[in-house]
Amino acid sequence: MSVHVETEASRRPSPGGPPGGLAAAQRALAGVLGSSMLRYVVRRILWGIVLLFVVSGLTFLIFYAFPAADPAALRAGRQATPQLIEQIRHSLGLDKPVYDQYWLYMKGLVLHFDLGYSYENNVSVTSQILSRLPATIALTAGAFVVWMLVGIPVGILSAIKRRSVVDRTTMGASLLAISAPVYWLGLIALLLFSQDIGELHFLPGAGSYTPLTSDPTQWFFSLLMPWFVLAAAFAAFYARMVRGNLIDVLGEDYIRTARAKGLSERRVILRHGLRAALTPVVTMAGLDLGVLLGGAILTETVFNIPGVGRYAYDSIINSDLPAIQGTVLFGAFFIIVANIVVDVLYAFLDPRVRY
Amino acid sequence: MLRAFGAAALVGATILVAGCGGSSSSGESESQTAAGISTAPPPTPTACETKGGTLKILSAGDVDHIDPGQGYYSFTYEITRPTQRALLSAKPGTVELQPDLAAGMPQVSKDGKTVTVKIRQGVHFSPPVNREVTSADVKYAIERGFATSVANGYAAAYFGVIQGAPKTAPQFPEPISGIETPDPSTLVFHLTQPEAVFVTALSMPLTAPVPEDYAKQYDDQTLSTYGLHQVASGPYMIKSNAAGSINGVGYKPNRLIDLVRNPNWDSSTDYRLACADEVRFEEGFQDPTVVAKTILSGSADANGDIPPPPAELRSILSSSTESKELFFTPTGGARYIALNTTEPPFDNANARKAVAYVLDRNALRLTRGGAVDGTIATHFIDPSFGDKGFEQAGGTGFNPFPSPDFSGDVTKAKELMKAAGYADGMYTGPQVTVVADNVPPGSDTAKVVAADLAKIGIKSRIISVTHATMYTKYCNVPKNEPNICPNVGWLPDFHEPQAILDVPFNGKNIIPSNNSNWPLLNDPAINAAMDRAEKTLDPSKRYEQWGKIDQQVTETASAIPWLWEDYPTLFSSRVVPALMVDNEGAPDVDFMSVR
Repeated sequence: MSVHVETEASRRPSPGGPPGGLAAAQRALAGVLGSSMLRYVVRRILWGIVLLFVVSGLTFLIFYAFPAADPAALRAGRQATPQLIEQIRHSLGLDKPVYDQYWLYMKGLVLHFDLGYSYENNVSVTSQILSRLPATIALTAGAFVVWMLVGIPVGILSAIKRRSVVDRTTMGASLLAISAPVYWLGLIALLLFSQDIGELHFLPGAGSYTPLTSDPTQWFFSLLMPWFVLAAAFAAFYARMVRGNLIDVLGEDYIRTARAKGLSERRVILRHGLRAALTPVVTMAGLDLGVLLGGAILTETVFNIPGVGRYAYDSIINSDLPAIQGTVLFGAFFIIVANIVVDVLYAFLDPRVRY
Repeated sequence: MLRAFGAAALVGATILVAGCGGSSSSGESESQTAAGISTAPPPTPTACETKGGTLKILSAGDVDHIDPGQGYYSFTYEITRPTQRALLSAKPGTVELQPDLAAGMPQVSKDGKTVTVKIRQGVHFSPPVNREVTSADVKYAIERGFATSVANGYAAAYFGVIQGAPKTAPQFPEPISGIETPDPSTLVFHLTQPEAVFVTALSMPLTAPVPEDYAKQYDDQTLSTYGLHQVASGPYMIKSNAAGSINGVGYKPNRLIDLVRNPNWDSSTDYRLACADEVRFEEGFQDPTVVAKTILSGSADANGDIPPPPAELRSILSSSTESKELFFTPTGGARYIALNTTEPPFDNANARKAVAYVLDRNALRLTRGGAVDGTIATHFIDPSFGDKGFEQAGGTGFNPFPSPDFSGDVTKAKELMKAAGYADGMYTGPQVTVVADNVPPGSDTAKVVAADLAKIGIKSRIISVTHATMYTKYCNVPKNEPNICPNVGWLPDFHEPQAILDVPFNGKNIIPSNNSNWPLLNDPAINAAMDRAEKTLDPSKRYEQWGKIDQQVTETASAIPWLWEDYPTLFSSRVVPALMVDNEGAPDVDFMSVR
């Protein structure tokens, strides 16, 4: 993450302009535009766009450079003649040079926000992704809440009660949670808790996802198990990270000073210790959130949640380039946005940071 | 389904029961496994136990194409059969054909070059078309299959023999002069030459009617979108909106295909029962154990394209109640190891035969689940063909490369390697290339092959890729063809031995891309025998010829068969089961009913 120190020049007022109300407005606007923070954000957004172009180009190159199934042959079917395959290749524009294909793709994307059509079923990739986005957002947001609510308090508790039974138990459990593959954990959860195949017949099982707009209660319960399964490893990792950071911070001189000044231990930990300890957590949380919004492939697969991750998985299996490209760009978009948001949040969380 | 083994391999769980002995030509198999498990299908219901209700079928993947004129995959046929009426279709619970949209079986002229079909009256398209189906709709359906906008995979193979059929695919559908519709209920096909399987091919979904006046607007696009606006002629239709679009309504790719009743269906014109009001094909279930347990719990009714895994199969078979809901159906095809006959070392027949001897077929079968997986194959025509070529090929008694318990004969293999020019019976040339699946069970099969080859000194370099890449970039492209393709196999479109042997072994079918003659076998004697058999209209003579061809092909050791595969279908106890025996035992929703 880039941290920029505010300079004298950046604080200098912009030169004057026309007098009167208009001038005042222009000065205000210039003030905003001239603020280092806004410049920084705009610069990051522009770099983000450049990065998206790079990602799209790389995806194209990877698809063509490495062994992948031939989409024209897949589309043509088992007994199709070579002539038919070539004609389909021509129809799909796959016989054009890679840079031409890339240019046409990017033109459609930039001018019309058109991610193309699936080779497999002719359905618009944009519509497919957008129709699956609510499921992915619901899964990610719910899991995020769970892992933050579990991970941070457990981390604090472990740090405060260092080397106690509580600390050893929670850290041991967190190691287990980090080690358990999400796919395996999902299956175990299904076999234990799902209403159809579980031992305890407790929660809806695989394939039970219901959109929020259809039935909020069913939506909530259908996601409860995926939330906890997806959150398990993250919560464990965050607990360990918070614990480590907090232990480091609590050993700092300024904490000793705070205690010497007679502040309550609660205030020392929560106001002075935790604030500094959480700064790296924000970075991680933002990035993790961005990655998962691009598709929590394994969790969506094991629970059969029709999200973007499942779409990405199916696209790869079917060598469906427009869909692969769409989901990759989509994931990259969320990661870039998350990065920018995290960098901006830093300024609020850490008083030492200026842009 | 004349096509290569595919999706089941991706799921990695095609586990089957060994069917020993033959079955009747009617397809009503009565074979049993060594473990005494019946592979007979359940009796096909003649009436609905109840009318109404919803059937729920679980699957891992989606249809290959939603357009019935383009679909070419067994799971796709689970949807096209109840929604689209082809001219002919299989009698319930058998592989024998009967008239479907046709009013009677096709009439073939004495010279075999004219085929006349009468169309059943009173069959109507679903909304928004609603009108009665005519012969012109079938003509258009076949014509559109040749267009690149639709890109049917088998139109040229089976219907290219029609006079005027395009030699080069047009971009959009064009009329074919050899299909005449003298009146709304008559179709006449004029063929350029007699073709033994032409009538049988009329059972393919491409012959299901498509209304040109409605479909043309969708077909005249770069890639036809008729599939997303399709109309039905069967008892069910994919749920659509008022404009006829199924996209996002009854068809959500990789998520759901929702069949509802076709309001224009007249049961008096159809043999289907269509008991349930709705059939939901719920997709995206990647774990076969979860699917099996969900079906056993009664929360779903059958597996669509994802069979129970070996452990689950064994568990089910050990239960007296659950085993009653499990049925095994011969796929009709064989898995085999293809050896490239055009390059050393396998351009030498003795080297190939050495491989055929050294392979441990039991170990190969274990990679797909072991003894419950199917019968070890000794030639290509599957036992389910019975007297349609299997018996004529020698049945289970024909095995030109025997070994004790199918575990391989290294001594005999080394003798053949000596005959191939390797002094001590051990290969001394460069390593051979093997292109295989990158996931089990295919990757495991490749490892067994490599280990067996090492016994005669052959070192292998395994290139692991996805299943689709293996076919479309390597094994299907002769110039990229490796020495060995160990994960190939062929399923027939229908129960004619030609559908098993012609495409994968006739030299005339070797093409620069999309080639399915993986050994690149081009034996003039075999080619000539196949060409004769293709034109033999008399069934008994034809099956005799194909039986001999099967023996000839097997003896070349260009491809080494190792498994006649059966497919397990599991039903929940809340439904009356029914199978498409002609379609790898897929659940037949036309005849299933809620108890």
